[in-house]
Amino acid sequence: MADLVMKAIRKDFGSFRAVDNINLTFAHGKLTALLGPSGCGKTTLLRMIAGLETPTRGQLMLGDQEITAKPAHQRKFGMVFQNFALFPHLSVAENIAYSLAIEGVAKARRRARADELLELVQLVGYGDRRIGELSGGQRQRVAIARALAQEPSVFLLDEPMSALDAKLREDMQVELRLLQQRVGITTIVVTHDQREAMTMADQIVVMSKGRAEQVGTPQEIYSRPANSFVASFIGKANFLAGEAQGGRFRVGDYLLQAPESRQFTNNSPVTIAVRPENAVIAETENAALGNNIPAEITFIRDVGSTRDIYLKTPVGEMIVEYGAGETLRPLSVGEKVPLHLPPEKLHVFPRDVEAAG
Amino acid sequence: MSLSTAEDLPTPAPIVVREPSLWFKLGLVALLALLCLVPFLFVLTISFGHKIEGAGWAFGFEFSHYKRFFLGATWPETFQSLYIQRLGYSLFFAAIGAVIAVALAFPFTYFLTRMSRRAQTVWLVVLLSSLSLSEVFIVMGWDILLSARSGLPALLDGIGFTDLMKDLGWFQWFRDVGLASPRAFKFKTSGFATVLCMAYLVWPYAVILLYPALSRLDPALVEAARTMGARPGQVVRTVVLPSVRLPLFGSTLLLFVFLLGTYVTISVFADPSQHTLAVSIYDSVRGSTLNAPFGAAQSVILLITAGLFLIAGQKLSKAGGTA
Repeated sequence: MADLVMKAIRKDFGSFRAVDNINLTFAHGKLTALLGPSGCGKTTLLRMIAGLETPTRGQLMLGDQEITAKPAHQRKFGMVFQNFALFPHLSVAENIAYSLAIEGVAKARRRARADELLELVQLVGYGDRRIGELSGGQRQRVAIARALAQEPSVFLLDEPMSALDAKLREDMQVELRLLQQRVGITTIVVTHDQREAMTMADQIVVMSKGRAEQVGTPQEIYSRPANSFVASFIGKANFLAGEAQGGRFRVGDYLLQAPESRQFTNNSPVTIAVRPENAVIAETENAALGNNIPAEITFIRDVGSTRDIYLKTPVGEMIVEYGAGETLRPLSVGEKVPLHLPPEKLHVFPRDVEAAG
Repeated sequence: MSLSTAEDLPTPAPIVVREPSLWFKLGLVALLALLCLVPFLFVLTISFGHKIEGAGWAFGFEFSHYKRFFLGATWPETFQSLYIQRLGYSLFFAAIGAVIAVALAFPFTYFLTRMSRRAQTVWLVVLLSSLSLSEVFIVMGWDILLSARSGLPALLDGIGFTDLMKDLGWFQWFRDVGLASPRAFKFKTSGFATVLCMAYLVWPYAVILLYPALSRLDPALVEAARTMGARPGQVVRTVVLPSVRLPLFGSTLLLFVFLLGTYVTISVFADPSQHTLAVSIYDSVRGSTLNAPFGAAQSVILLITAGLFLIAGQKLSKAGGTA
């Protein structure tokens, strides 16, 4: 089956470069999330795939067929819009069967197909309702059913959860993922919500300023962020500014060890990222352990499932997170504790790039 | 779509609407009565009045003017439908003019709403300023444009179109529909010129009436249709037109009623046998026949006709809106 491939895709709006040199492969049957802050070009990228925008440069291939210049109505990639874009003058079933009506499929068969899809999205019996009578969640299901009715080769969703309230959103993420796996369709979801992306995606493309910062599985992106932007955008991270020094990294008055996944020349500026759940409040000062920084507790946030310890250190403020199951000796605000940064958990990035977030 | 967000918003402080005082309300009612009702009642009164030959009218309660309208002055000896015909031409020209204006304004307005904000503003300003032209100016303009010696017929003659049509043997067709004299094209004093000028008169109104509905149309609806295989023409037919069918219907109705009163266009361009009630009313009140009560009776009938159409339109659009 055919993969969707983008080769050196670029999109300019006047002098503004919305998408810059994107090379991506969307594997058949997989769900890819385009993740990034607003204005990063992810929606433009999705619209180019749908055929609603034309790339300024580059190629879009579906298998070995080039579709760069193919108009949207010939691609027929099912798309779910941010506000769902359901037709208010048509009933639920007519909305779902719209693509079939355009094709000229007979009315009885359209209705049968609509009923089939209503069952798929768990809205049996809603076929004759007006769009105005549906809740936000129901509208989303109708929009999904409508996009799938034409059995598209690619299924596109533009911020599909943004019109839903927070509770419904989490449920729908799981439901959409299960549906996608059942149908087995190549799916691309645009989102700015990293939790949403990690819940649903096989592959995440982290985007910033029109570029793909990192492409990988959710776990890869979380545990091995490619740069400080990705580290800050996916999950939480503490950042330290430092310099490379003889295979180690100097941060303030402290020398830290980190995995030498990159070779840095001496004195080159670096950013060191460490996730809150990876930093440790040590029992006692242990020089043999290394990678310790003295810290003072400024605030403790205990929300039940996690405890966040806010710390003031000579190299900046940091947060350490403990899960409910993890043991931690009783602490109090104002207490001075050694902060241990496990070397294997530190991510070191060159600092010349402008750090976002 | 915004249901969930609307619930999340903090409840705004209730806006205190102070009930206007009784005097204010009475004042408004009085103003409305003075501006609308009094003139109408005045016309209604005159329509039942008695015509004094060469002098005007006197109070009375005669149905003779209404009888003359519906059955003819000499009824029951003979029956005449002249004025019903005039009313018919009023409805005919107004309906065609309104439909043409809206039909031409729809695609224009649709593309206008897809332009940049700046382009839209420029176009709307141009359109609004064209409304300042009176009917008289517009008719004068078209009069020159369509005149045989200096207008379109002369142009068609000059570029050889007239001869081409004659050579192809199609010229007779133009003669048959009344758009040509034996030698050349002749557009003036024709239904064509009348309808053209009437449509031109109300076209800017049609654009302005359709603009809000079309600019509110969510572009995502059009895009959604495209991703589902609809070609541009199918998008317009299956998504855009149904979404704005109520505004389309409403604009057509409004312009139709507006055009019922067209006077200058008809008197300049229409064949005297096709003159409308508006022309006939003027003739009765100020023109050749000087019969104010009969003019008033015709006015009342025209007004009631317009009112009936508006009421029927209201009923239809309500039925269409809930269907």
